[in-house]
Amino acid sequence: MAMRSQIYQYLATADSTSQASIFVGGDGNNITKPAETTATQFVVIEQVASTPSTPITLTSTGMGAYTQVRINTTDYFLNPDNRPNYGVPGTASPYPRSVQFQPSFNLYPDVYVLPGQVWDVLIVVTGRTGTAGRPEAFVKYTLYDGPDALIANKLLELGISVSPANVDWYKRSLISAQSAPPAPAQD
Amino acid sequence: MAMRSQIYEWTNLAPAGTGSTLTRAITDDTVAMTLAQQVSVFTGGVGYNITKPAETTATQFVVIEDIACSPDDTTNQGGDVQIRINTTDYFQNPDVTQMSGVSGTASPYPRGISDGTNNLLKSFDLYPDVYVLPGQVWDVLYTANTALTASTTADCVAAFIKYTLYDGPDALIANKLLELGITVNPANVDWYKRTLIEQQAGGF
Repeated sequence: MAMRSQIYQYLATADSTSQASIFVGGDGNNITKPAETTATQFVVIEQVASTPSTPITLTSTGMGAYTQVRINTTDYFLNPDNRPNYGVPGTASPYPRSVQFQPSFNLYPDVYVLPGQVWDVLIVVTGRTGTAGRPEAFVKYTLYDGPDALIANKLLELGISVSPANVDWYKRSLISAQSAPPAPAQD
Repeated sequence: MAMRSQIYEWTNLAPAGTGSTLTRAITDDTVAMTLAQQVSVFTGGVGYNITKPAETTATQFVVIEDIACSPDDTTNQGGDVQIRINTTDYFQNPDVTQMSGVSGTASPYPRGISDGTNNLLKSFDLYPDVYVLPGQVWDVLYTANTALTASTTADCVAAFIKYTLYDGPDALIANKLLELGITVNPANVDWYKRTLIEQQAGGF
């Protein structure tokens, strides 16, 4: 199990309009410690999504949410003036997806969390909440562990996208190189 | 983080009586717009804004991949979105006269929003992408197709921009790809890096 597709689903229990971690923010379902990679792990975040809202419902009883990715202390999504923003609106990357809410946003290129880094996904709830339900967030990522994390690092050095297909391709290349017949001796 | 997928969402929401804001708040109200009023979604003084016009530094390269906005129909009060690079508007009429850009009906935000009868999907795809070269100023302009009234729930509109920011060495590679006539996207930037590495390895 050296490459594993992983998800994390967050459901808040209270209305909060301040930015909070979906892992250790103290509200809703949390985990025991901040998300981090060990020296032999490599994480690729492939999707973030949250509760959507139409522009109209933002001003009434509706509710929307934004998700921001943070690596160590750096926010991934910035405004063009280099100030961090709330991140991806649920309206652009909705969770759950529905006929009324389809994604306008695709997290490509993916976000890499290198060995030894701490990562987080932060949620901000907007709209006039209260009776509109509970905000949700969703993260899809792939965890590369052990030898596959080493290969992921190697792919990164080579400028190749880290994906399960490319990790497999690199393994096949190694095996092919090892199993190639030795060159005939030259007299 | 030399290639980053970025988004910007604009709404005509701001604290009552202020016109614009740099920070979203749940108490924001809709800001009035007149019919056919065109505003910058970054610094137009209406709704959510940023501190200065969007521009690329000498070591940045931006590729705008998608623009969308609220559709204009019997249910929604929408408009059009236009891209401006320096002083040049990207979308123009066949007779080379100015137009207001892509309508929210062709590129709706949110995708799937109901027009009262159907859930709207996009008819427009921004392809080829729009490149913002190092040192250029870029903007996205929203034109209201109906007059919007302040503090009116139904008069809230939005615009959405998806772009990729190439920074540092990746911006240099993006420029090189442009010179070579190759599309600038993350896959091609990675391909160019691999080519460089292979060339270097072959030299030893």
